[in-house]
Amino acid sequence: MTTVALLGNPNTGKTTLFNELTDKYAYVGNWTGVTVEKKVGQIRHSNTEVIDLPGVYSLSPITKDESVVTNYLLRDSPDLILNVTNASQLKRNLLLSIEVLELGVPVIITLNMIDDLKRSGHYYDLKTLSTELGCPVRTSNARNKEGLPQLKADLVQNQADIKPNSPLQLNYPIMVSQAIRQATKALTTDYQVDAKFARWLAIQYINDNKVVRKYAVAHHLKPLLSQQAYYDAQKFSDQIFETRLSFIEATLATATEQLHSTKHVAITSKIDKVVTNPILGLPIFAGIFFLMFKLSFDWVGTPLSHQLDKLLSGPISTWANQFLTQVGALPMLRSLIVNGLIAGVGGVLTFIPQIFTLFACISILEDSGYMARAALVTDRIMEMIGLNGKAFIPLIIGFGCNVTGIMAARTIEQPKERLITTLISPFMSCSARLPIYSLFVAALFPRNQAVIVLSLYFLGIVVALLMAKFYHVIFRAKEHSVFIVELPQYHIPKLSIVWHGTWDKGKGFIKKAGTIIFAGTVLIWLLSNFNAHGYVTQIDHSFAASLGQILLPIFKPIGITTWQPISALLTGVLAKEVISSSMMVLFHTANQGALIGMIGGSFTALSAYALLVFVLLYIPCFATIGTIKSETGSAKWAAYSVVSSLFISYGLAFLIFQIGSLLT
Amino acid sequence: MIMNHFMIKKFNGLDDATTQRLHSLGLQVGSDVTAVRFYPFHGPVIIQVDHQKIGIRYRVFQQLTGGDVS
Repeated sequence: MTTVALLGNPNTGKTTLFNELTDKYAYVGNWTGVTVEKKVGQIRHSNTEVIDLPGVYSLSPITKDESVVTNYLLRDSPDLILNVTNASQLKRNLLLSIEVLELGVPVIITLNMIDDLKRSGHYYDLKTLSTELGCPVRTSNARNKEGLPQLKADLVQNQADIKPNSPLQLNYPIMVSQAIRQATKALTTDYQVDAKFARWLAIQYINDNKVVRKYAVAHHLKPLLSQQAYYDAQKFSDQIFETRLSFIEATLATATEQLHSTKHVAITSKIDKVVTNPILGLPIFAGIFFLMFKLSFDWVGTPLSHQLDKLLSGPISTWANQFLTQVGALPMLRSLIVNGLIAGVGGVLTFIPQIFTLFACISILEDSGYMARAALVTDRIMEMIGLNGKAFIPLIIGFGCNVTGIMAARTIEQPKERLITTLISPFMSCSARLPIYSLFVAALFPRNQAVIVLSLYFLGIVVALLMAKFYHVIFRAKEHSVFIVELPQYHIPKLSIVWHGTWDKGKGFIKKAGTIIFAGTVLIWLLSNFNAHGYVTQIDHSFAASLGQILLPIFKPIGITTWQPISALLTGVLAKEVISSSMMVLFHTANQGALIGMIGGSFTALSAYALLVFVLLYIPCFATIGTIKSETGSAKWAAYSVVSSLFISYGLAFLIFQIGSLLT
Repeated sequence: MIMNHFMIKKFNGLDDATTQRLHSLGLQVGSDVTAVRFYPFHGPVIIQVDHQKIGIRYRVFQQLTGGDVS
């Protein structure tokens, strides 16, 4: 098995290339110690395994997910590294390439997005680049599948056939070279470190790579540790940077060729003039989101959901019922399957169209390059609450799923800002809360569905921002934010890429329907059909009913007058999707239409809204609680999140219901 | 009239992480910088360097171009 690692800057089209090269994920795992997704895929009909590493600007990590790459290079040695670069930003992309080439592992560099470069009127002589850098250089455009056959052929080699690279040797200033040489020698003779690796370690250590410095401490590499003060005092890291940059400039100067110039860049500039406009930027941002919600809930998602529901609750449910009666199944089993599973799990599955439409919209925004602009236009607001525009992206991803949102917070540089973002993420209304909104707006606000749902999303954002400000004051976070965002060129979103992104985000939902929602539905069915004396025919005598009845006085002040929603809310901690399937079971209905009727009967517009606010903000689901624990590294923060969100949700729902009752 | 061509004068005064990230994006002392857009209320600044656009905070922009920090 040959292992190839994909490595490169962010915004180089690395993930697209990964998806095009491999036909499916062999598996998705986590990197040891951290929960950044580790994607490993296989090239079709071959023995080559491809690992997709997170995008990094350099091997000296600033953020948590960047350290994944350095740790990978310290611990594992891939047979080949495919360094993906953005052809039109070669100067800074090569800074990373040099670090990788110094390691001496076989490297192939591909100039990706080569069409952008051609349109800008330049080209590079690949032979010159290849000689100067000492490794094969290819061109590709993953979006149009250009250059992929060649790359595949390069990667599908037997381990033994891969040509070794000798490490790149730059002419560092005398003092630096001497320091590198001495350290390398001591490491190889006294510590039996492989010579190539020792040299790379020395350079990285001198260059103030935090991860490598930790590595040196852990392995007691005295030759490096003893010289640290000297390296830093002499500002060797600055000299290393300057040497690398001048090498790159010289190399590019000899390799550049001029082409007939065209005007592509003009398009990006024109779009940017509008969407990053100082005044229009924010309204456009809000408008794009409004459009997203309209698409998901009014125009495309909801009509499709209705069709799916008709099919599930009509023909399929009836057919299953008849079939089970014919084969003589026990009434209890029939009830479990028809009223429990088909109604519950099926009820959640009918939301697939809405959730997938929303994910598709987010994927389009990601693929087009708009997300970086969104970070920019929101930065000024985020600065006021002590965060930066980048924290907005994890929050937006949190609309899909809080777990992925919290994980996306790893790109934030400061630990305190990361913690704050993690803590406020659960207030972002994830897609799992949608089914329950949809039910209630259909029952009580049929004319203003999109507006009501949108208002909940905005309320979530407002609560999140207020809490962020609160934490910022409490934590006394004084450190300045690192806010540097690259604004990539716009791309017309490609169907295959958007589909990949949508599926990547949405498959978790379908998986959950088969596992935790399934289990939750069965649990609820058991609770609602049994009591201490056994099977009951009247749901009013079940466990679920008595539990709900006990808690009813607590929930009365926020407008809940029946026990069913309370029992459903309890199950929502398993996963928020379960709430609506529980309702289906608890209200004893088999289709959405009947349930909507029931809800319409037992809620007023005001109490329904108070309940929705409660659902929006109350205890995060198990998966989110687990992620908070693993990301903050402490169970205390997870427990804190549970308690604080319960407190906030109850308080706000209480205020809305009480003040609303006074006004009406 | 707002002057929008600048040269990077120094990295002094910026924290290490910011300096390192700017270096990684290919910025160095002497780089030519065009300010493409200023956001109101001292919001972020979009600069263009080597045909790439980068958003940075106003404070960092001022420090890079030698202005006083206000």
